[in-house]
Amino acid sequence: MIHSSLHPLAQPALYILITLVVYALSLRLHNRYSWLHPLLSASIVLVFLLRTLHISYASYNRGGAVLIYLLGPATVALGVPMFKQGIKLKRALPRLSLVVLAGSIVGMATAGCVARLCGASHQMVMSALPKSVTTPIAVEVSRSLHGDPAVTAAMVLLTGLLGSVLGPALLRLARVHHDHAVGAAIGASSHAIGTASLFRYSEVQGSVSSLAMAMAGIITSALAMLLTLYWRVRGAGGL
Amino acid sequence: MLGFVIIVAFEFLGIGLHHLGVPLPSSVLGLLLFTLALVLGLVRLEWVERAATLLIRHMTLLFIPLMAGLTTMTSELRRNGVALLASLVASLLAVLLTTGGLAHLLLRDDEIAEIAEISVE
Repeated sequence: MIHSSLHPLAQPALYILITLVVYALSLRLHNRYSWLHPLLSASIVLVFLLRTLHISYASYNRGGAVLIYLLGPATVALGVPMFKQGIKLKRALPRLSLVVLAGSIVGMATAGCVARLCGASHQMVMSALPKSVTTPIAVEVSRSLHGDPAVTAAMVLLTGLLGSVLGPALLRLARVHHDHAVGAAIGASSHAIGTASLFRYSEVQGSVSSLAMAMAGIITSALAMLLTLYWRVRGAGGL
Repeated sequence: MLGFVIIVAFEFLGIGLHHLGVPLPSSVLGLLLFTLALVLGLVRLEWVERAATLLIRHMTLLFIPLMAGLTTMTSELRRNGVALLASLVASLLAVLLTTGGLAHLLLRDDEIAEIAEISVE
């Protein structure tokens, strides 16, 4: 195998390179077949490559972890669209936060209740709560609620993917057309994955969506903080 | 490059505050402080705009290794799969429709203000 004969320091570089090439290809594919989400096609191609080249996920992740690390700075970078859109939408800002607050509460309540009703364990219910916010935030919220961060990350990714593929069509069915409303709904429900796909069609929708996803992240972690404080005050460890 | 330095510095500040006991995720703390610094003018938009736009535009790339990682945890997901999937779909629909519907009712009249602002620019 080529990859195992490589110098150990060259391996992460190779895996990052593979990921970049797969990503660039998936963007090309997305231009031709707009229904094919680049995250979906890139992941399928990458998993296929790793399987056929007999590269374990653990060794791939020496390169992958570098990209995953960048999600942290990327989350902080959301401050820029927050600031820019905040100025533009100054008058609407209180209303937008109200909308995102309502969405976040409904989302967490639905996620928790449905998981509980379907017989999920307490830890799984907690893992489901922060699934509508961007991964770095969701993982930390999940940890603070004693959920399983890996399960949360999986749900976050699938939510983002499903939301960015089906979200715009569903909103059209519900007769929600306005750029601000579409942006708010996708940002609050499908975080960075939805936001990135909106940016490919509309600058305004994408910007409002990044503002909404940042707000949803802040609101969801604040709600989770209140929830843990409430439990601590009640002295009980569970629901 | 200055943009990246500033952004990573704020991320680091967030991690530090979180470790000092602030009960919010470190990335949220970093984001809040960074936004505050922009609002107060401590950080100028032109210093960070290009780096931030690059990071946000290509966030999809950063999710690819995580997606590939899902293949390593299939058994755990399968055990609670139905409940988690039901919760995921129900909650996604609920958030989409609540946020979209409310925003549709509350945010429409700002279109005029924004168009006016853009034409002034």
